[in-house]
Amino acid sequence: MATATHCPYCSLQCGMTLTRQGRSLEVDARAMPANPHSPITEGALCRKGWTAAGLRGHRERITTPMLRDRDVGGWRAASWDEALDLIADRLRALREAHGPDTNAVFGGGGLTTEKAYQLGKFTRVALGSSQIDYNGRWCMSSAATAGNRAFGLDRGLPFPLADIEGTDVLVLVGSNLAETMPPAARHLDRLRERGGRVVVIDPRHTATAERADLAIQPVPGTDLALALGVLHLLDARGAVAEEYVAARTTGWDDVRASVAGWWPERVERVTGVEATVLRELADLLAGADRAMILTARGAEQQRQGTATVLAWINVALALGLPGKEYAGYGCLTGQGNGQGGREHGQKADQLPGYRMIEDPAARAHVAGVWGVDPDSLPGKGRSAYELLDALGTRSEDGDGPRSLLVFGSNIVVSAPRAEHVTERLEALDLLVVCDLVMSETAALADVVLPVTQWAEESGTMTNLEGRVILRERAITPPEGVRSDLDVIAGLATRLGAPSTWSTEPEEIFTELRAASAGGLADYSGITYDRIRAEDGVFWPCPDTGAEAHPGTPRLFGERFAHPDGRARFKTVEYVGPAEEPSADYPVHLTTGRVLGQYQSGAQTRRIKELPDDGPFVELHPLLADRIGAVDGEALIVTTRRGTMRAPARVVRTIRPDTVFVPFHWVGANRLTNDALDPSSRMPEFKVCAARVELAVEVAAPAPAQPVGATR
Amino acid sequence: MTERIVVVGHGMAAVRLVEELVARGVHRTGHITVLGEEPHPPYNRILLSAVLEGTHRPEAITLRSPEWYAEHGVELRLGTRVVDVHREAREVELADRQLVPYDRLVLATGSIPTLPPIRGLVRVDGQLHEKVHAFRSLDDCARLERAVPSARRAVVVGGGLLGLQVARALSVRGVETEIVEGAEHLLRSHVDEKSGAILRRSLTRLGTTVYTGARAVRLTDDGLRLDNGYTLDSDLIVLTAGGRPSINLARRAGLSTRRGVVVEDTLASVDDERIHAIGDCAEHDGRTTGFVPPAWEQAEILADRLAGGSANYDGHRLVARLRATGLDVAVLGDPDLTTGPAPEGAEVVEVANPIAGSRRRLVIRDGVVVAATLVGDLSRIGLITQAFDRGTVLGDHEPGALLMGYAAGPSPDQAAQALPDDAEVCACAGVSAGRIRACTSVEEARETTRATTGCGGCASVVRTLIENGLRAVPS
Repeated sequence: MATATHCPYCSLQCGMTLTRQGRSLEVDARAMPANPHSPITEGALCRKGWTAAGLRGHRERITTPMLRDRDVGGWRAASWDEALDLIADRLRALREAHGPDTNAVFGGGGLTTEKAYQLGKFTRVALGSSQIDYNGRWCMSSAATAGNRAFGLDRGLPFPLADIEGTDVLVLVGSNLAETMPPAARHLDRLRERGGRVVVIDPRHTATAERADLAIQPVPGTDLALALGVLHLLDARGAVAEEYVAARTTGWDDVRASVAGWWPERVERVTGVEATVLRELADLLAGADRAMILTARGAEQQRQGTATVLAWINVALALGLPGKEYAGYGCLTGQGNGQGGREHGQKADQLPGYRMIEDPAARAHVAGVWGVDPDSLPGKGRSAYELLDALGTRSEDGDGPRSLLVFGSNIVVSAPRAEHVTERLEALDLLVVCDLVMSETAALADVVLPVTQWAEESGTMTNLEGRVILRERAITPPEGVRSDLDVIAGLATRLGAPSTWSTEPEEIFTELRAASAGGLADYSGITYDRIRAEDGVFWPCPDTGAEAHPGTPRLFGERFAHPDGRARFKTVEYVGPAEEPSADYPVHLTTGRVLGQYQSGAQTRRIKELPDDGPFVELHPLLADRIGAVDGEALIVTTRRGTMRAPARVVRTIRPDTVFVPFHWVGANRLTNDALDPSSRMPEFKVCAARVELAVEVAAPAPAQPVGATR
Repeated sequence: MTERIVVVGHGMAAVRLVEELVARGVHRTGHITVLGEEPHPPYNRILLSAVLEGTHRPEAITLRSPEWYAEHGVELRLGTRVVDVHREAREVELADRQLVPYDRLVLATGSIPTLPPIRGLVRVDGQLHEKVHAFRSLDDCARLERAVPSARRAVVVGGGLLGLQVARALSVRGVETEIVEGAEHLLRSHVDEKSGAILRRSLTRLGTTVYTGARAVRLTDDGLRLDNGYTLDSDLIVLTAGGRPSINLARRAGLSTRRGVVVEDTLASVDDERIHAIGDCAEHDGRTTGFVPPAWEQAEILADRLAGGSANYDGHRLVARLRATGLDVAVLGDPDLTTGPAPEGAEVVEVANPIAGSRRRLVIRDGVVVAATLVGDLSRIGLITQAFDRGTVLGDHEPGALLMGYAAGPSPDQAAQALPDDAEVCACAGVSAGRIRACTSVEEARETTRATTGCGGCASVVRTLIENGLRAVPS
């Protein structure tokens, strides 16, 4: 029998069916006709989706809890009871000795919404700790912060993805969706067939840029200056939608004045983008009736990520786009449940329903649902990188956490300045990792708990459009493997936590609906049955009793989510990346993904049908010529934080002053910078200063060959 | 005690200084007063020619509104002329005899246009002749703007950056424009003679006649007479030649001045540590600049110092960029390196195409682009400027490669036909050209290989490979 579900990977969450055929599990693409807004109705999948069943029955799958003996470094199998008892005892002892914040939790944007919700509740109620955050902080947090500031609400896309096809000009800032979420690129093609234009802004001329009418390659980390320059030109030529600005926004005058100093030639000098190209972009936008501006990690993973997104939102507001049909600003979320994962309490400063943890009314509501005293809930905790940076530290201001429970994240590969983070993990008294396989992070743990994966469990995800979808269990998990929800309930019970700890996703979802009711991300009107019948429901969807709320595919048509209903222009200043090239580190380094792999690769690197050629260093022929590099030859890339070795990939599609390394393997993030955005706390993954050289030169010089010697 | 910071001038440097002071919170710890002579809120002066040309609305060049100053508690006094600085008393005296006390004084008085020695420019009442226009301020721009609709012909006196910009702006507005330049070639402070000649030809092609090596000597009812005997019949005479740092105040106050107010690395006068100068009026290390980027850098550095920091100014990498439709010029680096032959120890890499009106020249020292002249072709200026600004050490072939274009690639169809069998056609499903060639229809390819089922981008290549019957073509 075929089970209707969704792909386990990116934020698109393409529909698929899973069919058991004897021992194997067949994947098929699934159209979703019940939802007219769907981008995933057509039945498209990329190779990651097609091969998603490849982890089933994988020989590296862990099927029993594993304990590591720190003294000898060896692993031994343990029973679930032994493992959970041990963890609970250690957590309790640490808490008694050092207070509740000594125990910390790290979640992931790939976890189902039920798990994310339950993790937030577990941390606050069972551990009494404020120390929870998740890897989504490294994903969309800059766009989330900017969205909240500008619109009063953060939903990646305020419209269905398929709306792209109806716009006139689409600007993608720092998105390579043709490789990171390939089926989404179909909308680009259809937009262009209609006569619409596509603009791609990326230091690399990517597969997505191949589909663009205008491809702009700025210096990494200068997308903000580019936006200021665009807005300058729009104002200069009187292309600002004055009526809209007057009726629906505040703050324009200050923003207008702030861009008067960003004339094209100044922008050119900062961004490396020719003034004529900037004018071309402004012309396209000024001449379009409807335009869409979408940002992604390229623009957001900067220490000025929030400001960069705000600058592009300013452009959208000045043109009167947000709230208009087939127009507006949006963020292309990365992880499968990056959206749902940040709405229900997995983030250090939030409670379910996108409520803020320091808002007394929010605390009272959620505590009421949980049946606990609002005062028992801790306050705001550390953000993801700051949490990791504090692990095992001792200081006069207070110690960092001594234990960490990791769910759905492979920190050792995905954190910036990874060697430092690895040291912090090693400094813990207790590291517990829940995973399918012995990931690089699991390998450092004291306890590894084998958990179920995607097809073996049910749960909801909220995709990049804010559409709540349902993944359904298709197969029985291997014996010995339990759900993250079982782990949470098992520990909560052992810790004697108040409230209830279901292990049934649908029961938890029912509780989550109540907890989210009245919040910005209101799920109270959504049920599993509705999701099945309607192929997904867009939040907010409050419970309106007998007459069901239809959900909200499109936001901001009438008003924005600030109390006065207006969007906010925010003045932002360009500061630039934390590191500029210097004599020792003369090029920019940027990182990103390749089509055949996903995130830290813990899953995809183990799927044999997916190409795994390892990391590479992409560089331009001009730079290759400068350092004497040949395609395929080993290079060493060094930054102030670390070094990695990988073969050269010489391409004309990258800026000559920039190198690119994909981050699915150990290495790239040893190089990346941990400079943080002041408000979103997003690390600057996308730009730092680096040196690239031939590996052979760095190794000890070869001994002189005796005359006549061969090889 | 609250420190009183008084800024004389409210041009580009002054407004930037105030912004930077506000960013550092100095407006809360001290009291900032800005004394501006012009009646308008500060505006982006370098965009005046763009306003004239019509690419910028005049409103769009306002940098900060009076409300912004008020919001931040900065006292902005417009239409206020400072006549004296009393250093002993630490006061400045205004034209109306009012005294404004200061603890720190910043001179950001900019530069003033000099009148060329042309008889008849000024009427007996001291006003400019009605046909004659200066082009320095928003008021100048507005006055010229009013005259443009009824003007048929114009002469721009001065063939520097501003002159060329104004000339192009007038041309674009439909006024027949001529340029008179006293030196032997255009942009003589920035480029060499060959580049100047190319510019002249480009302008001629654009319909602007250029007279070089010619001085205007007299304005009569017949027109503007040149020393070469020509008389140019004209409705407008726009003076863009010459400006000098405005240093009268400093000189009267007994501060050291040469071309500008002489300042230390701290941007303080060499004679009085309470008095600073930034922007066009400041002379550092023997140089005055006349450009915005160094003025802004000085503003940032001075703001840092006024906030208690210790930043120093050590000069600036100059990029002069012409802003005029149809005329592309960028000059990077010190004029010494761009106006003459290659200096000792440097090599010049040059690509010129006089037929297309382009000449590009990189001055390289130890692999670093220390100067560049780009005329008529600004492709790659983004990269070249980055290399220049960052002092990147380039490889031996890079300067040449930066100036040459890349060969165009094959068309998509040709590319598809030339694909070897092992080339990946569908990245989404990981399908090679060979596997597509083995299929008899697009449908078969979709069913058996899953090509085209992802992003759909390979659909046309798959169709080409199958429909053109290319299966037989050996790779």
